[in-house]
Amino acid sequence: MKRLAHLALLVAAALLLGCATANSSRAPNADLHHLKTFYVVRVPEDERGIEKLIAKRLVTLGFQCTAGDAPTPASPVDAIVTYQDRWMWDITMYMIKLDIQVHDGATGAILANGEVMRPSLQRKSPEGMVEETLGVLFK
Amino acid sequence: MILSKRSAAAAAPIAVFCLLVGCATATKPEAMVADKVAVAHPSSSDVSVAVSGGKETSSAGASQVSNDAFAQALRDSIKNSGLFSAVNASGGRYKLTAFIGKMDQPMMGFSMTVKMEVSYTLADSRSNQSVWSKNIASEYTAKASAAFAGVERLRLATEGAAKANIQQAMTELAALQL
Repeated sequence: MKRLAHLALLVAAALLLGCATANSSRAPNADLHHLKTFYVVRVPEDERGIEKLIAKRLVTLGFQCTAGDAPTPASPVDAIVTYQDRWMWDITMYMIKLDIQVHDGATGAILANGEVMRPSLQRKSPEGMVEETLGVLFK
Repeated sequence: MILSKRSAAAAAPIAVFCLLVGCATATKPEAMVADKVAVAHPSSSDVSVAVSGGKETSSAGASQVSNDAFAQALRDSIKNSGLFSAVNASGGRYKLTAFIGKMDQPMMGFSMTVKMEVSYTLADSRSNQSVWSKNIASEYTAKASAAFAGVERLRLATEGAAKANIQQAMTELAALQL
């Protein structure tokens, strides 16, 4: 019975803690290599400035990038970036999941997406989550 | 066999957790099929459907929409409305491709809203030209009363968002003159 209880605890721990995952997918024939200019749309509920972190990382990667509240940029860009950040509480708040989509700047069609999920024990800073998500997206 | 107080105390929260959370089940194609739409100009040509960007469901994760399930729902929706003369697995005069680019699901909650975005392209295989393309966003909320278990509500919300998305696509396709 003791073994059974331990096994049950182990299963529950595995369910609660889970594993970190990082995935990306691209639309058929989507080519991200020709993209040079980006605009990141801030999620209205985001008060942590994740859009600025994404824009900063894209600049670090060698792209031109701006960010703002408007759904479309003031001047045309090659790609528009959207994202969804999910947060959880475990001693402190941490970002458990980040999804980023790259849309065609002209048509709005989604060209590619990337997502990273990191449970509490494998948590990263928001900067780390942005870096990892853009990493899988542009790999 | 009698549980010791200590074992029972350890097992109880796990049992409650499993009862409340349950195991995720994959979305069902039949739940994502769009309602019949009025077709202005039915095509006498056939069409094939290809889907990418979907995900398989793992029992410990959230309900997902797989490529196969979404493709099946698209094929059945096209057949229901008679948009094309036939729907094939591959080949055909027209090729409809759908890329599931966004699937925004809540981690938890009573009412669960799923937001979805799919990029569709219809190409003429003879000319190899795109005749229609559209990025369609949809969402669906499964209220707390829809199901007791959270994973069940999430599946219902995901299927609802997928159905709404396909419904919009069918409405757009029905207006085309091919």
